[in-house]
Amino acid sequence: MKKIIFYFIISSLVFGETKKWDAHSAYLLPQKRWEMGLFQPFRYGYSESIEYSVYPLWFFVIPNFSLKKSQNDIAGFTSASQYKIVYPTPFLNMIAKEGIMGIIAPDFQMPPMLGLSASWLMSKNMAGVDLTLNGGLDMGFAFGDLDTRSTIDIPLVYHRLGVYYNNWGFHTGLDVQKNISEKIGALADIDLRLLPGLNGNYSLEHKLLISWNKSENFRVLTGYKFVMGEYPYGSDMHLLPYIPMAETWVPIIELQWARKKR
Amino acid sequence: MKKFLSILGLLLILGCDPFVTEFEDLSNALMYEADSKSNETYDSGNVKVVTWNIRFGIARFPFFGDSCGDDVILDDETIEKNMAAIADSLNAIDADIVLLQEVDVSSKRTGYMDQVQYLLDNTNLNYGCYASMWKADFIPSDGIGRIDAGNAILSKYELTDAERIQLRLRTDQDGLTQYFYLRRNIVKAKIPALAQGSKDFYAVDIHATAFATDNTKQQHIAKYVEILGEIQFSGDYFVTGGDLNSVPPGSVIDFCLSDVCSDESFHTDADGGPHKEGSYFDNFEGEPNILNPLYEAYDAAIDSDDANLPIHLTHGPSTSDIKYDRKLDYLFTNGIWENTLSKTHQASWELSDHLPVSAILNVGGE
Repeated sequence: MKKIIFYFIISSLVFGETKKWDAHSAYLLPQKRWEMGLFQPFRYGYSESIEYSVYPLWFFVIPNFSLKKSQNDIAGFTSASQYKIVYPTPFLNMIAKEGIMGIIAPDFQMPPMLGLSASWLMSKNMAGVDLTLNGGLDMGFAFGDLDTRSTIDIPLVYHRLGVYYNNWGFHTGLDVQKNISEKIGALADIDLRLLPGLNGNYSLEHKLLISWNKSENFRVLTGYKFVMGEYPYGSDMHLLPYIPMAETWVPIIELQWARKKR
Repeated sequence: MKKFLSILGLLLILGCDPFVTEFEDLSNALMYEADSKSNETYDSGNVKVVTWNIRFGIARFPFFGDSCGDDVILDDETIEKNMAAIADSLNAIDADIVLLQEVDVSSKRTGYMDQVQYLLDNTNLNYGCYASMWKADFIPSDGIGRIDAGNAILSKYELTDAERIQLRLRTDQDGLTQYFYLRRNIVKAKIPALAQGSKDFYAVDIHATAFATDNTKQQHIAKYVEILGEIQFSGDYFVTGGDLNSVPPGSVIDFCLSDVCSDESFHTDADGGPHKEGSYFDNFEGEPNILNPLYEAYDAAIDSDDANLPIHLTHGPSTSDIKYDRKLDYLFTNGIWENTLSKTHQASWELSDHLPVSAILNVGGE
């Protein structure tokens, strides 16, 4: 019995709890399983205690890498730490141009910039609901002159790139996930980003997704994302996705695939 | 479920402002007031009116959109300096009514300064109304980003019944360009303090198309003449003006070669074309005399005989050495101007690519 208890303690230290289709929680992907979606990164369960992820479509213009590592359980919560590194400069310089898709004015040359982020995640199943709390520190380093007029003042983007203009920021959030039936699940989350001192110093993002899990290897999600925050021009809120020319909100359609490497 | 649908409905209402704001043919203008008002009572006497396209406070900055420049966003410090100089000029002119074009109220390119509020708070003007001609959450071109720019009427006296009157969109653009492009307008407001007995008094401000190569300009001027005709027909008074982007009768009509940028070439075809958009004033039959109906029906601050004199030229390309070489800005009334007192303020040439024109209305004059 002692051996069994010792095994569970050790395994909880070394091996995190694993779970499929649960990117935002402290649970790691089972070893050798990968998952990816249209808008989600490619995630891979490297071992029982390490998961890594990259956005493959963006990788060559925004090199990025994220690593999630299981940690000791705390107060009955499965815990993990997550570290991200992003280098957005090549993409930003691609869109700093004249004409259509000139998102940043061509007046500006974006310097080399490096984004680092460290988060702590804690998950627990309470009364059939998976609950995840997360929080962490973001740091942004610009190795050169970063003109404050080069910001992209639109939801989701402004506050993610804001860390390079502010050098640092906090993020925290809560995810709630529940299986409604064998195939149908629901995910709701709320995330707060704080960039103290920046002109436009917070954003609050909320998402609600309903998923249909066709199998262990494919699922479809739909829902909405709501963003409110402070921008250089004032407070604003948006329901996304939004189709400009049709002037209408449309539901998110996300397809996700998974496999287990043999 | 009801709660969820209510919340979703609320999010839809709160979170779905249009990406690009389109306007009804007639809508309300946005009203403004100075933080602290002064001298707001009209106690008879003449009324001074000025029109000025202030080029959103970027002075002669080589902006990519309307000259040979390739810059987009000016620094905040320079914009504040320019706007302070514009406010000083308006204070020096001491107009009762100011008709402004190209005013930014929430644009990335000018540091999101609300220029209408700034001018009200830094001049002797007390009331304002504003109508957007370009309003979008984000223009994904040339780094323009968020924009809200338009026309404004500022006044010492209270404005009421302010209307934004939509002008026809250009038809020489593809659908995508037109969607993100300017929606020009006329802004019209009543000034009750200046009513003469039972006759109301209106201020009407216009910024007509500059770059259309179809008959949009003809449509804009025709609509302007129609709006003024309605006021005249009602037996009321108006002062009006703006940037008509049209030259006076008898003016030079071809500025293509003086406006040409180093990477452009014009007048190379057998028929004399191509012409530079905004620099050629004979795109359709009758364009050189497009302002005749205004000159014939109303009193011009600068008579048509004098309009082409060098002292009355109001515009010059911002990136050239030319301070001013054509007249595009006008004032008219169905009352009477004190003609000898009308003035084009050419000393202000460094503050915009347009110059202010002022005139004094002889109130009660017939």
